[in-house]
Amino acid sequence: MNCEQRGNTALYVDGELEPAAQQAFAGHLENCAECSAAVLEQQELKKAVRVAGKKFSAPPELYAAAHRNLAPRRSRAWWKLAMAPLAVLLLALITYLAIPRRSVDAMISGVVNQHLTTMASTTPVDIVNSSHHVVKPWFIGRLPFTFNMPELAGTDYQLIGGKQVFVDQRPGAQLLYQAGRHKVSIFIFQSADTGLGTRSPRWNHDLTFTVGSWTAGGRECYLVTDGNQNEADKLATMFQEANRS
Amino acid sequence: MAAAVIPRGNVSGLEHKEFEKLAVPLMDGLYNFACWMCGDPDEARDLVQETLLKSLRAFGSFRQGTNFRAWMFRILRNTFLTSRTGLERRNTQQEDEENFAEAAVSTETPEIALIRRADTELVQAAIAQLAPPWQEVVLLAEVEEMKYKEIAEALDVPIGTVMSRLARARQQIKVYIMTALSEKKVVGIKR
Repeated sequence: MNCEQRGNTALYVDGELEPAAQQAFAGHLENCAECSAAVLEQQELKKAVRVAGKKFSAPPELYAAAHRNLAPRRSRAWWKLAMAPLAVLLLALITYLAIPRRSVDAMISGVVNQHLTTMASTTPVDIVNSSHHVVKPWFIGRLPFTFNMPELAGTDYQLIGGKQVFVDQRPGAQLLYQAGRHKVSIFIFQSADTGLGTRSPRWNHDLTFTVGSWTAGGRECYLVTDGNQNEADKLATMFQEANRS
Repeated sequence: MAAAVIPRGNVSGLEHKEFEKLAVPLMDGLYNFACWMCGDPDEARDLVQETLLKSLRAFGSFRQGTNFRAWMFRILRNTFLTSRTGLERRNTQQEDEENFAEAAVSTETPEIALIRRADTELVQAAIAQLAPPWQEVVLLAEVEEMKYKEIAEALDVPIGTVMSRLARARQQIKVYIMTALSEKKVVGIKR
């Protein structure tokens, strides 16, 4: 360890230097092989820990319990007691209907959470580039499958970038797009069912976000946005066309 | 840990809504952090629920403009530390950070290549072997992408302690990965 600025590498990688110092250190990296190697190593380690550390996702029942517990208490209502047997029956029916769709629901819950996390993050994507010719190759070696991305020329969509994600313990790609004032996340996973054919986008209207899911070319895809369904549907169709086998 | 029943205090309907809007997006992060600390999904679920109820009750005293996320993680951690599992864990941990001097970090490119070869399972094992003070700081820094100041608020420690713990945690993770890959003891190596 010879370079006197070597101690700044962690602060630089963590974005903890003042903007001017951050810029100055970036300039220093161009001429210092020791610090460059240290920065690269710490960036790789950060990335590995970020992926591995995000091991657990809150189960849907925890969200349900939170909504139930956090709802404001209203005045005592005797009729609620009278409705109890009906509520039990309703709960049983909901549980029955939910069981076959559990894995799909877990995925939808997972991708919505992932989209929310991305929106709140100061570094929403790992590869920042507006060209799919750059973003798509970035996933090679990071995912056990490949996928196609649509050509955006002449459309209202703009690619922001992408990152590797894990949802329900499945590796996938998250691609982030700008559509007007809204951001759109597209999630792509390898389909668990290899015999799965092509399915048109199906939209979930029960959520605050617009969430769509479809399959194409052995890929399972999800779209999450706070924009409207018409905007989202166009991008979903473009993706489906690009991945039609 | 049994599910707690905590009085909700005098929180208005509007505050309920505001709290829910702020707290629900943090659920995944809180649950992930709780799972790492408890090592048990059921206990983690109870811990998150108890944290939500406690923080809702105290939401009236939460000062606007301060960091809500750090405040929530602080309540979660304090709740855990006062639980039976938390007390056991705290009593067994050995904190010798004062004696820690950052080891010389080699900048050889083969190490970078080795880190790239480490798969998720191996890195998770490396995180799991960290003592609680280093595990929690590295999870908040890397997974929750918190700044040093935010971590210091969440853990109620000085920023200098955050930095030294983070450096030590990263060094331990790196050494664990290097050792595992060089000895080929761990199965989870990418082909």
